Amino acid sequence: MVRYELGELIDDRPADGIFRVSRAIFDDPAIFDLEMERIFEGGWVFLGIADQARAPHDFFTSWIGRVPILVSRDGEGMLGGFVNSCPHKGSRVAQTMSGNARVHVCPYHSWSFDSAGRNKAIKLKKAGCYAEAFDGQSHDLARLPAFEEYRGFLFGSVSADVPPLAEYLGEAAKLLDLVADQSEEGVELVPGGVTFTYDGNWKLQLENCSDAYHFTSAHPSYIRLLDQRQKSNSQSAVKSVWEKTDYWKEDAEGDVQGGSFSFDHGHVLNWGRFGITDALPLYESAERLAERHGEAKRDWMFNMRNLTIFPNLQIAENASSQLRVIRPISADRTEMRTWCIAPKGESGDARRLRIRQYEDFFNPSGMATPDDTVSYENCQRGFASRVEPWLQGYSRGMSASRTGGNAFSSVIGLAPARSVLADAQLGDETLFHSYYRAWAQRMVGALGA
Amino acid sequence: MSAIDREGAEELLYREALALDSGAWDDWLALYTEDATFWVPAWRDEENVTQDPDSELSLIYYQGRRNLEDRVWRARSGLSVASKPRPRVVHAITNVLLLTANDAQARTSSSFAVHLYDKRSERTHVFFGRYEHALRNEAGDWRIAAKKIVLLNDVIPTVLDFYSI
Repeated sequence: MVRYELGELIDDRPADGIFRVSRAIFDDPAIFDLEMERIFEGGWVFLGIADQARAPHDFFTSWIGRVPILVSRDGEGMLGGFVNSCPHKGSRVAQTMSGNARVHVCPYHSWSFDSAGRNKAIKLKKAGCYAEAFDGQSHDLARLPAFEEYRGFLFGSVSADVPPLAEYLGEAAKLLDLVADQSEEGVELVPGGVTFTYDGNWKLQLENCSDAYHFTSAHPSYIRLLDQRQKSNSQSAVKSVWEKTDYWKEDAEGDVQGGSFSFDHGHVLNWGRFGITDALPLYESAERLAERHGEAKRDWMFNMRNLTIFPNLQIAENASSQLRVIRPISADRTEMRTWCIAPKGESGDARRLRIRQYEDFFNPSGMATPDDTVSYENCQRGFASRVEPWLQGYSRGMSASRTGGNAFSSVIGLAPARSVLADAQLGDETLFHSYYRAWAQRMVGALGA
Repeated sequence: MSAIDREGAEELLYREALALDSGAWDDWLALYTEDATFWVPAWRDEENVTQDPDSELSLIYYQGRRNLEDRVWRARSGLSVASKPRPRVVHAITNVLLLTANDAQARTSSSFAVHLYDKRSERTHVFFGRYEHALRNEAGDWRIAAKKIVLLNDVIPTVLDFYSI
């Protein structure tokens, strides 16, 4: 039983300068169940990219909340999204992360389905003495009530009650363009996915990606190593973009080093100035991208950008380029599926640099992510307390947040709902408000007002 | 100089295990050649690890001992919340085979199970898989010139560091 009223969980009073979130939303299993129902199984969820099923009959599997999903490209090249569950007894039909299959045969009773999800055969159908009514039912794999692609990014919903994807993404779609347009051939996932878990709530990951405030306090070991590497000038050390820029350094000079944009439906971006540096694998394409897309958009492709498409997709382009899919397991456990996302057709040297930078920073076996995830687990322990339920991590930037965009968004025709321009020390937290306002909207009717 | 035998190769592997288990990381580093490769491939699908570190992802891929020195520095720095307190580990190595051996170099295959107890999170975990070591004779001392670690249970519970595998 969820016994809360919304105001007990999210205290959103802009006129009073107050935005607070209760520890309960990270900690209470009843709220987690509600999130599964209202957010993950009640709206658009990112499934994967089209390139994961490149050829006819290619497929990959994914999740919408607790529901196993099959994305398959049929013989005509059309992508379809299905519940990965046999209509007969419910068994998962596809059991691997990806593959190629003209026909999926359920391993339990051998019902079979083509790559468009159509039932092809029911084993021993004639001998089965079915009632006539059986033929009146569809035996196909259940099609997702909503399944759409935007520029190669695939989203699905197990609820039909969703707006068109373009409306859901809104202006944030332009930030996916900054990823998709890095190559005329589009983007791909570098072979080799990495999955890790942490014993903490999924929203800790949601926030951390957008958290500019933690970098210098959670990652000093990484930062110091970069310093040491730069001084040693060793050939065997990996070049890092962090060495080449100083926007994140607390003593960086200049008024604007980055900031944040917030969008409707819970999408957010935090960003920083990187400049056109050869520490980024994209450097080899800098001129071509400027010719094709204009300098302003090209420069944005080179900026540090951490994008969240609510609730489960994050694309972090900072030390390298990572696509993350958040899969909540329980209130206090989360699985992260992660890939290096890269423009197709980049040179071997650029790809090698991208991969090395990725492993160093993003992997759970690297030198930065573990310092985040361990902090999530420390937070999760602390969330058990209700002595003072309100968290104070949503307050930085409150007096800097503006309605609409700014000069940095308008150069690429981007119109966010809110924006913050930040020097290196601001560490905006108001972008999290977008998450929790979207969260609150999804909970309408489920919680007391 | 003479070729290393299986007993000699096992001794080297066990010394590496003890150095990691006891946190004697300088001793551990000293077992590696300066140009050593340290490679933990990621998995491309359910059954195959990645093959080419330059075009496919690895969990860890380093060329050059100085990168391992960086990892050791970080783990000791006091600046990494994930590295302190140091998890307790024991590396159990079995099934050691000497695949090739001559005066200058040798290759071994072995199996490992690393039992890890992380006091902070109150978690116990076993990472397991196979090692492939390339050994090189450097002026009479056998050192590790390359180590490939095929980690079979690759869903990482929060953290994996060099001492966890």
